[in-house]
Amino acid sequence: MTEPPCIRVVDVHKKFGPLEVLKGVSFDVHRANVVTMIGASGSGKSTLLRCINYLEVPTAGAIFIDGESLGFREDRTGRRTPRPLREINRMRRDLGVVFQQFNLWPHMTVLGNIIEAPIRVLGMSRKDALQVAGECLQRVRLSDKANEYPARLSGGQQQRAAIARALAMSPKVLLFDEPTSSLDPELTDEVLNVMRELAEAGTTMIVVTHEIGFAREVSDRVLFLHDGSIDEDGHPDQVFTAPRSERCRQFLAKYLK
Amino acid sequence: MSEALKQSLDLALFWEYRAVLLSGLLFNAGIFACAGLAALVLGLAAALLRLSSARPLRWIGTVYVELFRNAPDYVMLVWVHFVLPLLLGLALRTRIEFHPFLSAVVALGLVYSGYFAETFRAGIQSIPKGNIEAGRAVGMSEALILRRITLPQVVRRMLPEGLNIFISLFKATTIVSLIAVPDLMYRVSMVTQQEMQPLPLYTGAALTYFAIILVVATLLRWAGDRWSRSVLA
Repeated sequence: MTEPPCIRVVDVHKKFGPLEVLKGVSFDVHRANVVTMIGASGSGKSTLLRCINYLEVPTAGAIFIDGESLGFREDRTGRRTPRPLREINRMRRDLGVVFQQFNLWPHMTVLGNIIEAPIRVLGMSRKDALQVAGECLQRVRLSDKANEYPARLSGGQQQRAAIARALAMSPKVLLFDEPTSSLDPELTDEVLNVMRELAEAGTTMIVVTHEIGFAREVSDRVLFLHDGSIDEDGHPDQVFTAPRSERCRQFLAKYLK
Repeated sequence: MSEALKQSLDLALFWEYRAVLLSGLLFNAGIFACAGLAALVLGLAAALLRLSSARPLRWIGTVYVELFRNAPDYVMLVWVHFVLPLLLGLALRTRIEFHPFLSAVVALGLVYSGYFAETFRAGIQSIPKGNIEAGRAVGMSEALILRRITLPQVVRRMLPEGLNIFISLFKATTIVSLIAVPDLMYRVSMVTQQEMQPLPLYTGAALTYFAIILVVATLLRWAGDRWSRSVLA
C-alpha cells in the first residue's frame, strides 16, 4: 500500500453568506513537497489555506491529514460524525501556520512565544521546550533576539520568530499565508531565505504567495486559483513558461512584466 | 478664627478614639476586598456571556450588566439587605436574615461587577483576532487561549479603568453603615452621639478616607503604569 498523502483536500467549498469563495477545490500534498498557491486577490487562496486547518470551517468537502479526516470521524459503515473541538485542536498541532501579520503574542518575549505551545499543549518540560526553542531560533537565525518583545523587532525578524514558533511544534506540514506580503521589500529576502532552507531540508509546505520568483524556484507544484477554483495545476516550469489557462497567462503577464 | 472652625480642625478627639474608629476601617477594607473579588469574577463571567456566540447567553449577559450597572449603590444595598431575604424566605418557606457584612458584599459585588463586565468586554474585544487564531493554530483550547493569550493582555489594557472602578468601590464601602455594618463612618456616628462634637469627628473621618484613597491610588497607578509599560513597549 502506498503512503497516504500528507494533506488531501477533497472538493472543499466555502461560503460566506451568499458569497461562494471556494467552489470545490481538490488536491494532494505529498511528504517533503512544497506546493505554492498563486492567484489574484479574492481568488480564494488564503481562505483555502485557512480551511486546511479549520480556522475556517469548510461549508462542504473534507480535509485529510495523513489519511485521517480533520472535520469528522468515519465509522466502519461510512457514517460521518463531526469531531469535537478537542480532537480538532489535537490534529491542528500537526499543521504549523505562519500568518501574513505574524500574530506573535505581544505580551511574551520571542522565547516565550516559542515555548508556550510546546509546554502548554504538548506537555513538554520547560527544559526540553527551551532546548527545542534554541534549535528553532538557530534555524531562523534569531538566537540573539530570544529575550526581546515582538514590538522591538523588525517585520522580518517578527516573521522569522513566528516561523520558529510554528517549527517548535514539529508539525507535519507548514502552512504559509502570504508570509512576506506585509513586509518592506528589503525585508522579504531574509524570510524567503529561511523558507528556502526549510524546503531544502525536506519540510512539507503549502505556501500562499505573490513572490513568483520564490514559487518558481522552490515549489514542486504550483496551483493557480481563480474565482474559487483551481485553474492551473502543474510543475512550476510548465505553469510559469507554458500555462494552459488563459487567465493564468494574463495573471503571470502582470507579475512578470 | 471662629470657634466652630477651630474645633473642626482640632482632631484631638478623633485621635482619642483612634483605636475604635480605625478598627472600623478594617470593615471597609474587608468589604472592599470581598466585594472587589466577587465583582471581578462575576464581571468576567458576564463579559464572556455578552461575547458568547449563542444569542440567549448574550441576552442574559446584557440584562445582567444593564440591571446592575444602572442600580444605585444605596438602593441595591437596601434591597439586598431588607428585600432579598424576604423573597428568599417566602420561596423557601423559612425565615432568612442576611448578616450586614454579607449584604454589603453581595450588593456592592453585584453593582461593580456590572462595571467590570463592560471593561472586560471592551478589553477582550480590543485583542487582535490574529492573536487568538495563532493560539488555535498551535492547538490551544479556547480556555487556554483565554487564560494565556487574551486575559494577560486584557488586564494590562484595562488597568487604568479597573483602578478607577476599584477606587469607586472603596468609596462606596462608606455607605454600609446605613445597614449597620460597624465601619469607620458607623463608629464616627456612634461616638458623635456620645460626645456631641460632630465637627472634629467627621472631619477626621473625611481626612482619613482622603489620605488612604490618595496614597493607595497613587501607588497602584504608579505600579500599574510601570508594569504595563515594561511589557507592552
